[in-house]
Amino acid sequence: MAHPQPGAAVKRVTTFGTYSLTSLVGIVAFLYPFWLPQLAQDAAGDLAHAGDSALMVAVLVGLCFVVLLLEVQREAVGAKSIALLGVLVAINATLRFAEVAVPGPGGFSPIFPLIIFGGYVFGGGFGFLLGALTLLVSALVTGGVGPWLPYQMFTAGWVGLSAPLCRPVVRVLAGAGEGRQREGERGRQGDAATRLEVWVLAIFAGYWGLLFGAIMNLWFWPFAVGPVQMHWAPGIGLGETVQRYLVFYVVTSLVWDLARAVGNFVLVAFAGAAILRVLRRFQKRFDFAYQPASGEAKWTTP
Amino acid sequence: MDDAMNAPARASETRFLKETWFRQRRPFHPLAWTAWIAAIVVILTLTRNPFYLALVIGATAIVGWRTAAVTEGEQVVLLSPLRFGLVVVTTAALFNMAMVHVGTTVIFTLPVWIPLLGGAWTLEALVYGALNGLALAGLFAAFTVINRVVPVRALLRLTPRAFYPVAVVVSIAVTFVPTTIQQIQQIREAQAVRGHRLRGVRSWLPLIVPLLEGGMERSLQLAEAMVARGFASGGEAQDRWPQVLVLAGFVAIVAGWLLKLVWRQPLGGALLGVGAVALLVGLWRAGRRHPHTVYRPDLWHMRDWLVAAGALLAMAAYMLPVFERSTIFYYPYPALSWPVFDWRIGLATLGLLAPALG
Repeated sequence: MAHPQPGAAVKRVTTFGTYSLTSLVGIVAFLYPFWLPQLAQDAAGDLAHAGDSALMVAVLVGLCFVVLLLEVQREAVGAKSIALLGVLVAINATLRFAEVAVPGPGGFSPIFPLIIFGGYVFGGGFGFLLGALTLLVSALVTGGVGPWLPYQMFTAGWVGLSAPLCRPVVRVLAGAGEGRQREGERGRQGDAATRLEVWVLAIFAGYWGLLFGAIMNLWFWPFAVGPVQMHWAPGIGLGETVQRYLVFYVVTSLVWDLARAVGNFVLVAFAGAAILRVLRRFQKRFDFAYQPASGEAKWTTP
Repeated sequence: MDDAMNAPARASETRFLKETWFRQRRPFHPLAWTAWIAAIVVILTLTRNPFYLALVIGATAIVGWRTAAVTEGEQVVLLSPLRFGLVVVTTAALFNMAMVHVGTTVIFTLPVWIPLLGGAWTLEALVYGALNGLALAGLFAAFTVINRVVPVRALLRLTPRAFYPVAVVVSIAVTFVPTTIQQIQQIREAQAVRGHRLRGVRSWLPLIVPLLEGGMERSLQLAEAMVARGFASGGEAQDRWPQVLVLAGFVAIVAGWLLKLVWRQPLGGALLGVGAVALLVGLWRAGRRHPHTVYRPDLWHMRDWLVAAGALLAMAAYMLPVFERSTIFYYPYPALSWPVFDWRIGLATLGLLAPALG
């Protein structure tokens, strides 16, 4: 690992390319109700392609997921990360369906804090797998497999994948804070840093609570409204489509999603420091390598 | 009390019944079920013709009813497909009527100054919304059948070999779910003994922290056990090029599709094909990294051929322009018209009934 390999550049390019390309195509595909009607309507106003295109978009979302998964699963090499991921997914999936301790109002679900913390501490790839597989496993166990599952997995995966984006934010904020309270006593600095992290993550979790609902609604929307109305009347443009979507969103799910956003915020703000401590402690404990050595077994700590 | 005493006896009785059932009617191969559900997803995504929708939903209902005898009774059913269908069809129909003011058969008119809701509420919009809801309800019903008849392990075994690490993670997680439930119970009891009652957001912490600590500890033990049995001892795979190939194939597919859709270039179709081949080859190469043997393979019988062939036939009728394909895209706008029914497509749809025969 320490010496640079010739394939390192290729590796970095494919990793970065996969993350950015699949996310970009995925976002565009998720947004298809907004742009597809304009594209699929040819000069004669023929609508015949619309149905096929909707199917193709679904295939495209599936492809994005497959390509991203192939790249991200490289995080799960070796027994340690596979075992850790498996157990965390089991815990999180159980939290989702077992009505434990916290009765969930509306769209509230206690799975998001762990996904966000996992991605934040162990990296975006780990977070992606944790998010996507949590939904897969809880669907498998409760018999909730359905056409919505790939979309749910993809979106929950994004939650984990994007969690490391909080790191630079925390760093910048901590840098600004340090400059101001240079004279403050040293002992409480670690405490303050954790509190800052928790606040950033809590706000992040709150935003994702809303965003998750908005993205999942995009899957459902064409079924509720039907793609045809948007390109039936030639005058209807992007603006009105967005407007209709907003009405649909406010009517059907805003309250639901607000419950999720507030629930995420409260859970992360409340339990954040403790969970971060547990994860970091085990991250340190997991940081060793098994080495098959000649003669006797050796344990090394890098 | 009496019931509790009889429970084991009754359990063994049902097990006996189930075994004899299974001897008569072996479950279908999971791949055959995959073909069946794929056909239904494709058809229900494509068509809005009420006749075809009704045929697909009817076939699903019959298959669900016929397979109900084979499967175990203790499965959790979160929501009955019928209730889901009623809610969805009503919601979709009303919402579409409220939002879309297109069509000639006006039921009533709201004043135009009301934003979005104002205007003519038409029968066409009502019908189209209901059809959309019907398609969604059909999907839900078909997946309810799949959830019931295909065991989790069989689904996991279908994972392509390229995703071997993910499959391992998922099977570990599925295995650990019962343990986790047990542990939650234990933590609850332990906290209750200490006089702590778990309720509300405040009690999330006393639950989640012991749960995480215990889980991490177990994962460490599991990792040691896996290494002791030689898991992943072959070292990390070095070659990147399956990944590169998959990525290139993906880019080609997206570009080809855009070419075809936006600029209507025939080149797009070719690019799409090349991309698909590159993607598949890449996945196949990635799968070669993880050689494995199957201890007890699912057997593929004649009846599985029947199910797969029926599903493929139905899917082909909707995807290939052999029959009157325009009939599957039914639009009630601008004026409600009687949908056209092509009996050949209808006949091919009955291929979905194959699982009910075996």
